[in-house]
Amino acid sequence: MAVPEGVVVTGLGILSPLNPEGDRERFWTSLCAGEAAVGEVRSFDASGYPYRVAAEVPRDRLRRSGSQDAPALRMAEAAFDRALEHAGIAPGTGNPRRAGIVVGTVMGGTIAGERYLRGECAGEGEAAGALENYPLRAIAAGLARKTGFAGPVLTVSTACASGTDAIGIASRRIASGKADLLVAGGVDAVCEFSFSGFSALKVMTADKVRPFSRNRTGLALGEGAAFLVLEREGSARRRGAVMLGRIAGYASRCDAVHLTAPHREGRGLAAAAAAALCDGRCRPEEIDYVSAHGTGTLYNDWMETKAIKAALGSHARRVAVSSVKGAVGHPFGAAGAIEAVVCLLAIRDGLVPPTVHLEEPDPECDLDFVPNRARPMAVRSALSLSAGFGGQNAALLIRWAES
Amino acid sequence: MNAPVRMAGVGIVRGPGGRPGEPGGHASRLAATLATLTRTGPPIRLAHPIEEVAVLAVHEALSRSGIPMPYQSDDLGVVLGVEEGIDGIKARYYQGVLAEGPLGASPLTFPLTTPNTIAARISVLFGLRGETLTVGGGNVAGAQALGLAVRALRDGYSALTLAGGVTCVEQEFLEAASLVGRSESGQPGGGACLFLLGLQGSASPAGGDRLLGYGEGFGPSDVQDAIRACLEDAGVPARAVGAVRTAAVCDWRSVVQAVRGAGIGVDIARSPSSGLCSASFPLAVAEAAGQPASGTRVPVLVVGSDCLAGAAAAVVQGGQ
Repeated sequence: MAVPEGVVVTGLGILSPLNPEGDRERFWTSLCAGEAAVGEVRSFDASGYPYRVAAEVPRDRLRRSGSQDAPALRMAEAAFDRALEHAGIAPGTGNPRRAGIVVGTVMGGTIAGERYLRGECAGEGEAAGALENYPLRAIAAGLARKTGFAGPVLTVSTACASGTDAIGIASRRIASGKADLLVAGGVDAVCEFSFSGFSALKVMTADKVRPFSRNRTGLALGEGAAFLVLEREGSARRRGAVMLGRIAGYASRCDAVHLTAPHREGRGLAAAAAAALCDGRCRPEEIDYVSAHGTGTLYNDWMETKAIKAALGSHARRVAVSSVKGAVGHPFGAAGAIEAVVCLLAIRDGLVPPTVHLEEPDPECDLDFVPNRARPMAVRSALSLSAGFGGQNAALLIRWAES
Repeated sequence: MNAPVRMAGVGIVRGPGGRPGEPGGHASRLAATLATLTRTGPPIRLAHPIEEVAVLAVHEALSRSGIPMPYQSDDLGVVLGVEEGIDGIKARYYQGVLAEGPLGASPLTFPLTTPNTIAARISVLFGLRGETLTVGGGNVAGAQALGLAVRALRDGYSALTLAGGVTCVEQEFLEAASLVGRSESGQPGGGACLFLLGLQGSASPAGGDRLLGYGEGFGPSDVQDAIRACLEDAGVPARAVGAVRTAAVCDWRSVVQAVRGAGIGVDIARSPSSGLCSASFPLAVAEAAGQPASGTRVPVLVVGSDCLAGAAAAVVQGGQ
């Protein structure tokens, strides 16, 4: 059954290493200018690791407004507030029982847990404070308490597809009439916990992220938050809100082959993409732009190229595909939400952001990956793809909406 | 009133918690299950008791539903509530990093620290390629998983879904929970409860127990709101509720007040599984479906709440 065409986006908020102050136009301008925010790790001492780069939001920008234990919550709050502001929704308006939050995150408040385990908490009071911020659900709960939303408050954790799944689940909830207003997206912060793990798995780069490139060297961790305000089209029209696009289709599929590696042929991702198109009653040739997961790892790049070909058929060779991970790194739970924002801004401005650092294309990745320079082009329908540990795959179909 | 959802098969596993290498109490059953599932591939060794209880519960739910295993299709997925169950794995992984620096980071353990690993393990072993979601909601994680599955079925996004919760409550978690004054404090233990859900009257496998409605709430009146939404969803008036059973709850008194405030005067029973956090709500649902109140199959209200994630309620009716 399709998500009815009526679920629209009326606000978006994003905070990333390209726009640490949360200015979405700064994010978009920097991204389309080909800037990259991957640099030396500063949020913890990475000197003992063979890899020492990540894309980070300077912590001093976050501490101004909160505790050092909860950078993910602070980033989420910043993006969340801007999304509501962009949508023109003041706190306390509407029926709080019909308004809610869906947050995608992988690490949640792990940084607080790190601090607790390092024995850095002075006394039980501080330890209790750290542990309050630790649970996965603490971010969604914190945002809901702040706004007074009393409808659905959900935390989705589907690895690197978390942000995409959060938006998809929220769009269904709106479409079914179970909620009037949902703010959905994702967040994650760079921490030693995840850095050490990806270092041990030897999938990280020591310098730049080069998706779809023959000389790729791996991924870089990233961080940030992005949220979309979702409501039904009728409600948006009644209050005169600008509609930035529609969440027209969504699907999740699992590879079911391996705990960490993707299916080599991209079976699950292709199935999710095809199902999202079907959900939105969209033909492959209607897709103008694909926001790729594009981590810059060999297995991802190869399988994703195959998945796009399988889902779009011959149209795959004509569609513009790009990955933003060379610019903002891989922010896990926030990735899908940031990429949904990218699709919406591409639709708004008729501009597709580039895949940066793509000087030597991998012959196995033979699609149009929009190398190094943004491309002006009309975008009416975009597909945002996410894939993650555990064979998680999710796809969102985002389409133009007439305001 | 919305369409009732059929609980075609349930898998329930309760076992001791524990760490890798400690006996989980299900060794022979687990060995037989894994041998069945991997007869054409390399042998599998599960790394943690939470994986063991999850795999056994799924096997039981699918067996009772007559679903072939491994399934190998994308029309069946899993929606799982997981939260505190992986905290022990995460703590031990990071203690390795603290002890030995980068060399202490285990590439084998790290993937198990992501919350969706349990759902991934289930998907790989049982060949479930459909919609696969993991939700973290503490005490109501399993409830929220059931809620998502119910909505996906009713809205036509899936025909069959496995849904429930799984946990492994370790001593360190209990100590940390008591530090922040949470109600999860109890005994270490593990457990999993998953249902194969399908729409009533659809082509789903036969089974008599039904989930009539589901509701959630958040904020100061979370339990009240969850009960109201749930009864409305089920189309069941308060006077028709024959029994009330609580899963893990944040504040017992607020639950009692909300139940009475909704006009429900029947006895309120605490589930013996209420210490099993993420798994507690599905376990309470299974108990409610399996134990008729007053000898008749009357609707039973199940209520759970979490100090952070809000409240959830379901109305369940056992089969005739």
